[in-house]
Amino acid sequence: MSSKKILLTGTVLAMIGLIWLGAVYWMSFFWVSTEVTQGIAQRIMYVHVPAAWTSFLAFGLAALFSAVYLWLRDERLDRAAVSAAEGGMVFATIMLITGPLWGKIAWGTYWTWEPRLTLTLLLWFIFLGYFLVRSSTENPEKGKRHAAVVAIVGALDIPFIHLSVIWFRSLHPEPVVIKPEGPTLPGDMLTTLLMSLGAFTVLFLGLFLLRYSLENLRSELDTRSRHTSV
Amino acid sequence: MRNYLKQVGTILWKDLLVEFRTRERLITMGAFVVLVAILFNYATDWVRVSPEDIASGLVWMTIMFAGLLGVGRTFHLEAEDGAFQGILLSPVPKDAIFLAKALANFVFLYIVALLVVAVFIFFFGLEVGSNFGMLTIVIGLGVLAFVALGTLFTAVSTGTRMGDTLLPVLIFPLLAPVVIYGTTATSQFFSGRPVTEAEGSIRMLAAFALMAFFLGSWLFRFVVED
Repeated sequence: MSSKKILLTGTVLAMIGLIWLGAVYWMSFFWVSTEVTQGIAQRIMYVHVPAAWTSFLAFGLAALFSAVYLWLRDERLDRAAVSAAEGGMVFATIMLITGPLWGKIAWGTYWTWEPRLTLTLLLWFIFLGYFLVRSSTENPEKGKRHAAVVAIVGALDIPFIHLSVIWFRSLHPEPVVIKPEGPTLPGDMLTTLLMSLGAFTVLFLGLFLLRYSLENLRSELDTRSRHTSV
Repeated sequence: MRNYLKQVGTILWKDLLVEFRTRERLITMGAFVVLVAILFNYATDWVRVSPEDIASGLVWMTIMFAGLLGVGRTFHLEAEDGAFQGILLSPVPKDAIFLAKALANFVFLYIVALLVVAVFIFFFGLEVGSNFGMLTIVIGLGVLAFVALGTLFTAVSTGTRMGDTLLPVLIFPLLAPVVIYGTTATSQFFSGRPVTEAEGSIRMLAAFALMAFFLGSWLFRFVVED
């Protein structure tokens, strides 16, 4: 795909995602029925769960692009990896902000060592390391390679972190266990959640493509400025 | 295969020899862990908590910090003399270099980790009894996992402007499973429970160490290539 087409697709997808998101907000505020035990606060689920899903998707893509980058050494793969990782940071941050807000009302405390929340927090730090490595290496080529190594190790470490935080929890049971995404979700809530998942995914893909074309423009600028200085 | 082991052995022996002649890292790490134990004594209210309850966590955190101190120096000596270029140019596979470096770190950190256990047992009057052998195995597995990821990411952080300060940010989130399983198993030993109860943790630690070594020896070549 030419860079113009990527930019166009990204813009269109992001626009669709934003409009869709507007519809999801309308649904979650006015259409879907209120959950009995938690009341209105439960509606934050329609942001929290999709944000979590999207951040995992984004980090997964970042690790995948990184691995293929180390193999093929195509600059475009590295650009795709960093674009996905940045999107992942944004959605993981949304997840980490909405989680404690919901937790304060549902569980009475901002932070519990809930496995998925803990996993996302650790992931957030792993990808913070990814960006720190990238930005603090003198030689950009080296920075890209090193960052790719961080992403790959991070991705393969996730199953272990996941198992261990669940294991830790099983030793320290919480009195109230709320499973927002249980299979018992009523029809209209499920519809809203699925709509929201769709909106977040499309929005992420749009932002990802926009970010990717920005990265393309940056490298082009870099090449041109180098040519003129010579 | 035989040649490969010889290459690993040569680099490992060089590192051990340098360290045992200068004893720089062992002395600093050893002093560090004893001092940390002394400070922990004053940082804890022993009226409210008993040593068995928190010793395992303190032991593992002390090992983690001492590990950072020691592993962070892995490439310093060679970096100063530019000798690392020489090792990289020699016809030794990159994974052999990684294995040698990680095993050298393992020897240093394992000695220090056993010192940590001994110091905590000595200072806080802990009872390990017949579980001591298993405890040394658990500590060994945790240290193996630590040095594998630690050596890989020290190679990463040495190449950045931030240097060693970046290392904990990179490896602490990745090492969460080591702390969780290690602490669980160790606290079971300290409270005198049978070994069978810690079996799950020990298996997970072993699996993690294996994965860490696999990743390290696979990815090290991408970190050091120039």
